[in-house]
This record gives sequence, C-alpha cells and structure tokens, in this order.
Amino acid sequence: MNISYNWLKKYIDLSLTADELPAKLTMAGLEVEGIEKTGSIPEGVVTAKILSRNPHENSDHLSVCQVDKGDEVLQIVCGAPNCDAGNIVPLATIGTTFKDGEGTFTIKKGKLRGVESFGMMCSARELGLSNDHDGLLILPADTKIGVPFGELMDSDVVYDCSVTPNRPDWLSHIGVARDIAALLDTKLVMPEICNADAPVVPGLVTVNDPDLCPIYAARIIRGVKVGDSPEWMQKALSAVGIRPISNLVDITNYVMMEMGVPLHAFDIRNLSGEKIIVRRAAEGESIVALDGKKYDLTPENLCICDAEKPVAIAGVMGGEYSGIQADTTTVVLESAFFDPDSIRMTSRKLGLSSDASYRYERGVDRNAVLAAGRRALQLILEIAGGEYVGCCEVAAPAPEVRTIEADYSRIRGLLGLEVTDSDIEKILISLGFGMTAPGVFTVPSWRVYDVVGEADLAEEVARIYGLDKLPAVPIRAITDDFKLDGCHVIESLRNQLTGIGLDEIVCGSMIDEKSATADKMFTPEELIRPYNPISLDLGVMRPSLLPGILNTVRHNIARKNLDLALFEIGHVFCKNTEKFPEERDELSIAVTGRIHPERFSAERAVVADFYDLKGILESLLTARKVKNFQFRAAEDPRFLKGHCAEVLVNKRVAGVFGEVVPALTKGMRLSTPLFVAMIQLKELLTAEERTLLYDPISPFPSTSRDVAFIAPKELEHRIVVDFIQKAHLPNLERVELFDIFEGEAVGEGRKSMAYSLIFRSAERTLTDDEVNSSYEKLRQKLERGLGVELR
Amino acid sequence: MLEELLTKLREITASAAADLEAAKTEADIDAVKNRTLGRNGAVTALSSMMGKLPNESKRDAGKAFNEAKTAIQDALNAARERLESVVDEKNKIDVTLPGRRWAIGTKHPVSQAIEDACAIFRRMGFIAVTGPELEDVWHNFDALNAPLTHPSRDPQDTFYLEDGRLLRTQTSAVQIRTMMGRKPPLRIVSPGRCYRRDTPDATHGVHFHQLEGLYIDKQVSLADLKSTLMTFASEFFGREIEVRMRPSFFPFTEPSVECDFSCVMCGGKGCNVCKNSGWLEIAGAGMVNPKVLENVGYDPKEVQGYAFGFGLERLAMIKHRINDLRLFSDNDVRFLHQF
Repeated sequence: MNISYNWLKKYIDLSLTADELPAKLTMAGLEVEGIEKTGSIPEGVVTAKILSRNPHENSDHLSVCQVDKGDEVLQIVCGAPNCDAGNIVPLATIGTTFKDGEGTFTIKKGKLRGVESFGMMCSARELGLSNDHDGLLILPADTKIGVPFGELMDSDVVYDCSVTPNRPDWLSHIGVARDIAALLDTKLVMPEICNADAPVVPGLVTVNDPDLCPIYAARIIRGVKVGDSPEWMQKALSAVGIRPISNLVDITNYVMMEMGVPLHAFDIRNLSGEKIIVRRAAEGESIVALDGKKYDLTPENLCICDAEKPVAIAGVMGGEYSGIQADTTTVVLESAFFDPDSIRMTSRKLGLSSDASYRYERGVDRNAVLAAGRRALQLILEIAGGEYVGCCEVAAPAPEVRTIEADYSRIRGLLGLEVTDSDIEKILISLGFGMTAPGVFTVPSWRVYDVVGEADLAEEVARIYGLDKLPAVPIRAITDDFKLDGCHVIESLRNQLTGIGLDEIVCGSMIDEKSATADKMFTPEELIRPYNPISLDLGVMRPSLLPGILNTVRHNIARKNLDLALFEIGHVFCKNTEKFPEERDELSIAVTGRIHPERFSAERAVVADFYDLKGILESLLTARKVKNFQFRAAEDPRFLKGHCAEVLVNKRVAGVFGEVVPALTKGMRLSTPLFVAMIQLKELLTAEERTLLYDPISPFPSTSRDVAFIAPKELEHRIVVDFIQKAHLPNLERVELFDIFEGEAVGEGRKSMAYSLIFRSAERTLTDDEVNSSYEKLRQKLERGLGVELR
Repeated sequence: MLEELLTKLREITASAAADLEAAKTEADIDAVKNRTLGRNGAVTALSSMMGKLPNESKRDAGKAFNEAKTAIQDALNAARERLESVVDEKNKIDVTLPGRRWAIGTKHPVSQAIEDACAIFRRMGFIAVTGPELEDVWHNFDALNAPLTHPSRDPQDTFYLEDGRLLRTQTSAVQIRTMMGRKPPLRIVSPGRCYRRDTPDATHGVHFHQLEGLYIDKQVSLADLKSTLMTFASEFFGREIEVRMRPSFFPFTEPSVECDFSCVMCGGKGCNVCKNSGWLEIAGAGMVNPKVLENVGYDPKEVQGYAFGFGLERLAMIKHRINDLRLFSDNDVRFLHQF
C-alpha cells in the first residue's frame, strides 16, 4: 500500500517531517518498507538564465557560460551540449548539498581546467526528477529567474507500507491519518462531501441477495463532461502508483485511496433498462471484464447486472463495455458494501483480483460506504460538472455496535506497562472508539474486523502509548518440570556421537521418489507425499535417512572430501503402519575412507572397515550404558551379503549395518568401501532409562595368561568367548582377543586366534600357581571341546 | 702424619675430579667411585689411619675427610648429569611432528543453534518439547486462531497430504499439544523442523527449523517477554543486545509484536548486515490470544501468557555470517568442520 505524505496532510496537521514519519508509523504497527521521494529539490538550486556561452580554451567539450541568477551573474563551466545562451535552467549555487547514494556532495567554487566556476547547471537526473542525463533540464522560457527551483516542483514522499491483514482501514489515507492523529494527539479533518438530495428513482436498484450485499447505493449524475482530471488529482494518484485515466475514473480511484471504499461508475447507456440488479450469476452466464478476459460465472459469484446481463463482477471488476467512455454524459455511481468472504471466494475462483477486491475481501468500513459515494459525488460535480438527478439506496439494517468491557488493570498486566486509566481512555477515544461508561467501549465500524475483545484494546493502547516505553522486567525464576524435557536425550546422543568423532549432517526431509525407493525397502505406495509438492525432486517425505546420507557422501566425495565419518538424526515417514507408525526418529551413520587422515606413518593409511563401524556402535552403546546389546549376522538388500549385521538392544533389533552394496553407490566414485548403519532411535533410547548402581572394584592387581591356537576358519569369535566363559574358571575377569590371522603359515581353511585371559580376585593377589592351574585346565578344554590346535 | 694424610686426600680428590671429567660412560664413573669412596677405595682405606693420629689432629683430619668425600661426591654427580644430558640430546624427538589426533566430530550449525538456544532458555526455567512434523489442520491452524481464509492455509504456502493433514508450518502446534496435555503454569520452548512451500534459494528452503516459546501463568506480560528475549539474544550472540518491539499482527497472539534485535554486527550504529537500520527483524511474538487459551481449555480470565518464535537458520546465519542457506543442506565436511 502506497501512502503519500502530501495526501496525508489534507486530513491532519502533520507536525512530523516526511523523514520522521516512517519510524512513527512502523512503531505503531504500520511497517514502512520503502520510501520514495519525488520532486525533492535540494536547497540552493535556483532558476537561472544563460546569458552567454563561450568555448573553454583548454577543452573541446567544456563551455564557459555567464549565468544570471536574478541577483547576480555567475561564471559557470559546463560540459552539457545544450548550455546555449537564452536557456533557462536549474542552477545549483555554491553550498548546495546533493544526496549521492548513501553519502552527500556539496557544490563548491572550483577551477575546471584552469577556469573558475561558481556552481553547477543541472540535468533532470542530477535533480532526481528523471533518468534524463542527455543535457541540462531546459525550463519554459517564461520561467521567472532567481526562484528556488523546489518551489516550482511539487515534492512528495511516498511510503511503501506493509499492511497487516487485520487492518483493512489502513488501505486508505484517512485510515492512516486517523492513527497518526491519535499518535500525535491532533485532530482528523474529514474531506468535504456533498449532502445534496436528489429524487429517489424507484426500481433503479434491486438487491436479490442482501446477505452478500447489505448496502447498495446508486446515484445518477447527468450532464457530466469526461476529460482529464485536474493536475492535483493526477499527481496524487500517480504518487501512489495509480495511472490517471479520465476525470470520472480518477475520482472513483481517488476516493478509494482516500476513504478505502471502492466505487464504480457506469454509463447509463450501458445499463439495459436503466436498472441495476445485484444478484448471483446464473449458471452459464459470463462476462468480459475490464482486463479484456472472459470469465464464466456461477451462482457462487455475486454480480451487478442490468435488466439482461451481468455488467460487473461485484466488488472485483467492472465489465468491459459498461464503464465510462469519452462521450459519457450520464453516470450511475455505485457505492456498495459486499460480504468479504463472498468477494474473496469469487476473486480466488476466477483468479482475478483488483484494488477493489483486495479491499472488499479484507473488509471495507461499512459505515463509510454511503459517505464515500457522496464524496465522489462532490468531486464529480466539482470537476466533471453535471447535475445530481436521482438516487436509490438499498441498505439492510446496520449490525449491532460491538461493545467491549475492559478491565484496565488487566490491560496493564497483559502489557507490563504502567499506563493510567485516563491514558487508556484517551487513546481509545482518539482512535474512534466510543466510551459509554468507564471501561465500556464501542468498536468503530472500521475496526470490527479485528477488535473483538479486551486483548485487542490492550494492543491499541500498546501501539499508541508506545512499545518503546515497555520496561524489561527481571526474569522471574519459575521453572518448568525438567523431567518433561524432550530434547536433552537427543542432545546427549549428539554429544556422544560427536565425541566418538562423527560429524553431524542435516538433510532435507523432502526427496525424490527414485532415491526414496532406491534401496528397495519401501514401495512408492508406502511413501508419504504432499499432494502439492514444490517439484518432483522434492515429491516425497523421506522414508529413511539412507538417501540423505548417501547423497551427502556423494557430494563430499565429488569434492574430494574422501575421509568421512557422518551421522544424522531425523524424522522419517512411512504410510504403511506395519513397517512403522507413520513418523519416527532414525539415526544413520556412514563411514568411509581413512580413519586417521591427519596422522602420519602407517596409521595414516588405515582405511575404515566393518569393524570400525561396529566399534562405533559398541562405543556408543557403552557410552549410553546399554548393558544388554548383541550383534548377529543379518541379510539386508542394502548391504553386501556376509558383511551385514544387526544390533540388538534388550533382544530387540535396534538397527542394521554393514558395507553398502554397489547398486546404491553407483556413480559415487568411491575409492574405499562405504559402511552405513541405520538405527531406530526409539530402540536405542528406551534402553537407558535407569539409575546406574556402583559395582565394587577390586583393589588387587590382575594377572594375565595368553592362549593361542589354530582353528577352522568357520569358528566364530563369539563361540570361543562363550566357551571360555562357560568353563567358569575361578577368578577369570575377562577374555580379550588380541590377534587373529590367516595365511600360508596356518594352512588353508584355518586361522590363528590368540586370546588374553585376565584373572583377578576381589579378596587377594592371585598366586602364579592358582592362575596356572586354571589356565592349564582351560587349554585342555579348548583342545577337547573346540577341537583347536594349541600353539 | 696429618700432613701426609691431607696430601694424599688432595691427590685422590684431584685425580678423581680429572678422571670424572674424562669419563665417557656410566661405568667410568662407577670405577672412579669404587676407587675412591667404595668399600676398598682409597678414601676408605685412608680413614683407617685416623685412629693412629694424635688426638689434637683428629678434628682437622675429620674435616678434611668430609670435605674430600663431599668434593668427590659432587664431582660424581656432576659427571653423571653431564652424561645424562648427552644421552638426552641423542634421544631428542621432533616435537613439531603432528600429534596423533583423536577426532572429535562437529554438530551441525543448525543443531548447535537449537542446543544453544535450548540451553539458554532452560536456564530461564523453560523446558524443550517436541512433536510430530505431520500435523492435522486443527493443531496447526484452527487451534491457533488462524482464520479459515488466512493465506498461510493456502496450498500455495503449505504442504498438504492427500488425507487433508499437512506438514507443520510452525512448531506452535507443539505448544497446543503441550497445553492440551497439561495445566498451567508452563514454560516451554519447542524447537523443530517446519515446512513452507518456498522455492529454494539462498535464503529459503522447503524446510527450516524454528524455535517457539510459550510461558503461561497468572501474571505474565509483554514486559516479561522483552526481558526474556533480551537475555536470550545477549547470551546467544555473546554481546549486549537491545530488543525493540513493534506492533504487528498474528492470529495466535493479541497484542502481537515484531521483535527486532539491535544489530549483532554494528550494535545498532548501522551497517550492511542490518541495511543501515541498526535493527534485525528476528522474532514474531505477542500475548497468547484469549481464543487460543479457550481452544485448549484454559480460562483466559485466570491465566495469560506470551509466545514467541524465530527461525534458527536465520540466527545461525547471522551469528556465523553464513550467506547461503544451501550450505546447511549441502553438508560439506569442510563447512561442518568450521563450527
């Protein structure tokens, strides 16, 4: 919404300058997003006449002119091609300050190639009047010399205001002026309106749907003369971005911008039967609107019709042939109130909006409708002449005035502002609220759309009193119940994962269907998808974090970030509730490349393998104090056969991990294998809800013995450990694998395994003899029980 | 007798000193020690002469012995140190070689913003709560008093599912869910992912992360909100931040305000970050609309409260001077490692 400073001045005694006003408006809730100054001329620019023009002795393109500025003749060096003697031009005298982008520059006495110059003659662009920089701005020959140029120009400032949807009254200059009057504690002066009466023309207006059109007034003015509107009106309209067309059209637009009520003028010749019928369109009716397009109408659309056909889409746009023409002499002027919802629906359905529909759908001041018609009548008679010869007003009874009871102390409590009772009353009254008794207010007709209760009155008080006066009170120490905090668990998980050395990534939840189904875990039917996606690339909700982390690996590999250890925590979505209930939290981990790229020597070359990812999971589960976790071999289409395992927490599958199959890493140019884990957060997080109890630690030293053997290749580590543990050796604390290898030395199909057995007693330091006897027994058992060949 | 003794002691001391100076190994030093102070050493042997001395000489002799022993011992120590320092020199390592690092991962900058914000609000007595991203229209719009005709409901702006539900457009829905499940007082922040139908560019994406706050109690005012946001802003950005409130309009709140933070870069003097205004538009806020309180079964005559919300990507971008939103979703590790 464009608001003109000059226009506002018609209704209020504006004590603020055009530069001061935006801050005031913004702080009152009408945000000024842009400021455009038109015709603003710096002080010091005067009209002057060029008396003579001589070539500059040291320059081809410069001229030396003698210029008369009324009280003095000055020498000016000028580079413009048209600085001919006799021309009257704007002259910036010494001391004139121009704005130049963010900074300024000031005209000084200077020498140009050795010749003194006492000012600058200006082009239109230099004065900010237009982009014309071809030469000096030549003024009409009858222009008086020595006059401040600004006086010849109408300068104005136009504000681009962002009007919130609750304030349709700000879609007019009077509406904005009303708030400024309240802010500045000054009076609002309403424009002159024509109170003349004319005979009622019976049957001129019929309203078939009064619920959609509670007020309709038509006024007939005969003998108007269509022509250009006066310059002041054209300037006002141009300033706010409305193109002047002709006096009658301009007047309707002017009153709309003034009072916020859209008006429409018909040529009576185009109203068949000289009748106006406000009705819903019949099925099959259509209209060609002013934009030249044909619109098919339905009974949902309210129309202004003559005896035969629709002549306007009510509150949205007039018909192409019903409006004012150059030879129009008799005008029917419409001022009406239409139901906001009806206008909004029609505008949406037809895909057609206008300045009128914009205002009607937000809500026009119902009580201003008739006044706006009379205001336009006043201007028509003044500007286009003619005679007011007839009228017809159809109006449903006005709705009851809304009354709000306000508790002043509650208003203060809501705001935290110490504003007095009398200030509250004064502010509300200045905004047009009525006060029937202390604390009882009636809502003005232009605010019924948003002011419904006490909280709304509090807002009005805050706006006008000034939120800048709001104190910042000390924070009160009221704390909520931390047990109910739902984020700290995720935070601790994030701490542990980064502590292990993984980098967190955050991927989008909308992806393309092909990536979402690439791992064959979900069918297209199982995907949740918005019906109005922004593009097919973002067409479905991710069913898993796998596509995101694969994509991140691809992005990084393509940029030669080859050593990656990543994780993501996020929501995933699935329609098939048998797979999971619609939305759940997932954790993904991906590892590829070197584990210690910053290290040197042999360590540098170590590349992540299956056991690195498994170790990450073990570290994580250990850090989370999950006691009951296990791993077992698994098969999963996402992972290479034989290189995939499940992790179980409390005997429930919490996730699966392994080496990603080549089908999913196609085109990634991986130079090292990629390992990924997919974990269900719920299974991981429910496992740690317990208080940890102290397990006594022995003060005595441990003793260890190593055992090494050759075993068949198929013998699993887990079997060996289980076997040793089931042997129940006295004082055996733990078993650790310390070496495993295959090769020629141990023979085909066999492997060498070496374990450390760590013994410790809680009561005493163990003697070599007792440890040795346990150890010997175990060696024999291993040989017999597992059939291994001791080394 | 005494003279002879003293002379011998001097000779022994001098020769020990000379030998020690020339000592090249630990064994050389040990040899000198054995030869002098050892059980069969020269000094020990001489001490047997002590008994034969006249009583008047014994005192001087004793003193001379002690001096000789001390001198030899000092020389021994010095020689050992000298040798050790030679050994050290040989075993010196290049301390400028890179250390063997233990990798520590980094949290995504948006996660960091979420965690930092939650930590600050927790200190002020808030708890952080979460909720689903797939929401129904009631929790996302109706309960929040958004008019049926509000443009934000338009499929132009909001992602809808075929079943009529939607992807939440703000985390206020979580506030509704929390209020429905609990009685006041409550003090919560709800961080999380939200969706809007924006065409992705440097400052827009189809999703973003938001943090909303809600404080409901008997006496809560806009003035409380101002101090809460000032505390938050100052801690989050690590410098004193002023908060300016401007009247605005949101269906969820009444009165509604836009909250501007004094510019993090220039402190309010004006710079290109704040477009010379000195202020950054950060949060939408206000006093919870009585209709919303009624919608969740609270009595607006009994309780009132404030609510606020802001985008976390925007905060992270301002804090770290990140100029393109897409960096957050690219997840390039060179970017991630900076935070």
